[in-house]
Amino acid sequence: MTLHFNGKKALILGGSCDLALSLATALIEAQLYPVLTFRNALGRGKIDAALSNQRGKYEACYLNFGERDSLAAFLAQTGEEIDFCVDFAQEDFESLIAAADEAQVYQYFTNNVSFRAELLKKVARIMVRRKYGRFVFISSAAAAKPNPGQGFYAAAKLASEALYRNLGIELGGKGITTVMLRPGYIQVGRGKTYLDNHGGEALRLVPGGKFLTTGDVAETILFLLSTSAAGFNATELNMDGGLTTGK
Amino acid sequence: MDTLDEIKKILTEILDIEGQEITPETYLVRELGTESIDLLELAVAINAHFHIEVKDDEIFVKALRLHLQKAKDEGFDPAKYLAESYPALTTARIEEILADIEGGPVLKVKDVQSYIEWQTKNKDND
Repeated sequence: MTLHFNGKKALILGGSCDLALSLATALIEAQLYPVLTFRNALGRGKIDAALSNQRGKYEACYLNFGERDSLAAFLAQTGEEIDFCVDFAQEDFESLIAAADEAQVYQYFTNNVSFRAELLKKVARIMVRRKYGRFVFISSAAAAKPNPGQGFYAAAKLASEALYRNLGIELGGKGITTVMLRPGYIQVGRGKTYLDNHGGEALRLVPGGKFLTTGDVAETILFLLSTSAAGFNATELNMDGGLTTGK
Repeated sequence: MDTLDEIKKILTEILDIEGQEITPETYLVRELGTESIDLLELAVAINAHFHIEVKDDEIFVKALRLHLQKAKDEGFDPAKYLAESYPALTTARIEEILADIEGGPVLKVKDVQSYIEWQTKNKDND
């Protein structure tokens, strides 16, 4: 199937994670122009190393969800031609609810929910002017089925899903649509550490019988950005091999 | 083209109301049927056209009733409270709004015009 796209420039928030880098390669292959965000020198280095043979075909920009002022500078750099936004950004915060540090809790939601709301407002307004825009929020199966210790992570993901859902409801008529993708177990990043320790046990919970790869997820996101997926708006899609559907 | 003409042009395009008369006294919601999504588009268009920062509450007097309730709860003079919340509006316009509030959404084209001119002046002074 040939995919078609209504635009070229794609923001990739949280652009230094493995999934984002895999997506960036797929976007470049599809003749799109990814703008990947990083929040420190390590992230910047990861992006440039992964895309070293793609110079001139992508951009890397500083954006830190923990630093509100970074948003204005970021948007000044990206300019007014934003067609797509794929959002991987999310800090980890693993703690039992009854054991969490209160100050950390406030900060976590400020960074991961309030900052995101401000960013969505500003990017959506750019898209309203352009009369087109497509957002894909990368949520997690943990939003629906968290393990102990994932309560804050799940709460921030669910709150962010709600923001994206409403954006799609409110602006769908203006050409701006949203999809929230909930991948299940992926053998990469923070999922890899867990699967290294609990892989067999986790696999028994997946009716599909296999974990996801970064390539699987990148291909799905590419499809969701394409005109072929235009019918999906303001909705969550579970991509977890049936993990969250069964008992 | 002056500010009012620019606003009329933008409104006509967003609301698709070619031929309808728009004056400074026209109510955006009561007469033109403007909805919240249209106001969002209007804010975005004004930001792009006039190169000014647009705060949706201030330009569209959105939280008027909330401000009035707060003034009442805290024992402030409503007119003074509104003047602080909506610095682009004149004292005379605030009095007019207070007298008109029972009739429905008070926003008029001239309020949008005042905001744009006020923000433009602020920008020029920066």
